[in-house]
Amino acid sequence: MTRHQEPTRRDVLKIAARSAGFVALGGVGATLAFNRGPDGKWQICPSKCIDIRLGATGVEVCDLCAVSCVLPLSAVRAVNDFSKCGRCCICPGYFDITSQVGPDGLPSRKLCPRDAITRKAIGEIDPDDPLNNFYEYTIDEARCNGCGKCVMGCKEPAGLGSIRLEVRSDLCLDCNRCSIAIACPHDAMVRDVADLTKAEA
Amino acid sequence: MKYRKIRVLSGKGSSPGRFSETLRGIAVDRAGLIHAVGDCEVKVFDVKGKLQRRYRTTRPGVCIAVDRDGTTHVGQAGQVEKFDCSGKKLPPWRDADRMGLVTAMGFLPESILLADAQDRCIRRFDRKMVWLNDIGKDNNTRGFLIPNGHLDFQVDPEGIIHATNPAKFRVEKYTLEGKMVGRFGHFGVHRPENFPGCCNPTNIALTREGNIVVTEKAGPRMKVFDPDGKMLALVGSDAFDAGCKNMDVAVDAQGRIFVVDTVRLHICVFAREKPEKTEDRK
Repeated sequence: MTRHQEPTRRDVLKIAARSAGFVALGGVGATLAFNRGPDGKWQICPSKCIDIRLGATGVEVCDLCAVSCVLPLSAVRAVNDFSKCGRCCICPGYFDITSQVGPDGLPSRKLCPRDAITRKAIGEIDPDDPLNNFYEYTIDEARCNGCGKCVMGCKEPAGLGSIRLEVRSDLCLDCNRCSIAIACPHDAMVRDVADLTKAEA
Repeated sequence: MKYRKIRVLSGKGSSPGRFSETLRGIAVDRAGLIHAVGDCEVKVFDVKGKLQRRYRTTRPGVCIAVDRDGTTHVGQAGQVEKFDCSGKKLPPWRDADRMGLVTAMGFLPESILLADAQDRCIRRFDRKMVWLNDIGKDNNTRGFLIPNGHLDFQVDPEGIIHATNPAKFRVEKYTLEGKMVGRFGHFGVHRPENFPGCCNPTNIALTREGNIVVTEKAGPRMKVFDPDGKMLALVGSDAFDAGCKNMDVAVDAQGRIFVVDTVRLHICVFAREKPEKTEDRK
């Protein structure tokens, strides 16, 4: 039978160092958790935002996302969902369809005040029938300020609703009191996924 | 020429004569009965709106058409379901390669036509359901431009197909062989005869006199054109819910026009107003 060995000084120091490390890690974690804001990122609820919401037709475009954000260029940007885009020849999100029609049969003015949307023909244009083509619409994020005009223009039933507004989480400062959320009259700016689900419901 | 709304048929609700979720297509048969499809059901009304009969479809119906012999055809995704005059189910017509989404149908003594919105063209079959040719694919976009997802046409007794081409803002006429023989319509917001939005007109029907009735979305309107494309009548947006789109249209032998309000789930009936006889007053 072997006799139980007494811990050496080195063993005691090892245990003490390990314990101190665990305590330090726990402390850092607790501090991070304590300093974190409310859960999730700011998001736009599509069923509340007047620019996106279906059924809200014939109303003024709301540009509060563009003008209320604390950033010089709002963190809210328009995004075109290519899987839904009809690639229309006359896109009501790209053209100001109320402007005079030119000799080419197209509206003479663009809708975007910052000229942030580019239009590119897909394939060859039939010279005898220039309307007979598809077009790709790409939004330049560096120019877009989230004013919502293209979103309202593309909304169903006039368009297909492929353009939407999104808070770009890489740009958003994640303010505790988002100035857009304060300004939004429709409470469309929500904080996390749970809020979004609740708002959608 | 002026049209006024004389009544509405059906509506939103759960009673047998109403639709609870969708109302997609209508057709008028030779007896003047109105066949409507929605909610996986066909309902047949008389012109006053009284429900005559109803029967189930296996898949949601997108369009409906009644052949000369009274057989009802319901266009769906991937197939056409057929019913006899009493609503008894007949063997369905399936063609996996040529029936993506059937959104319109037409009948001639020798052939049957159907619109496949998935492949953006009109298919022509003989009476034995053998495919003959496609119509509207002979262009650089290989088909009609239908961002609205719905292709509509009607064939006249001479065999000329009148089809909507919404993203080109016009009505196009084709022979059965697929040759384009005419077209009219332009984009525009300010003049009522022009077509606004991203894609209009969406639906089409022909009157007995050969006039062309079309419906538009955003804002929803109905227009009547003569065969040369001159606008004869306009029914404005206030007749329909603002959110309506792809409103199916049909015309009966008396010239009454039936238009589906896809939001309120009812059928608006329009009749032509008699012109005022100014000379009689003198």
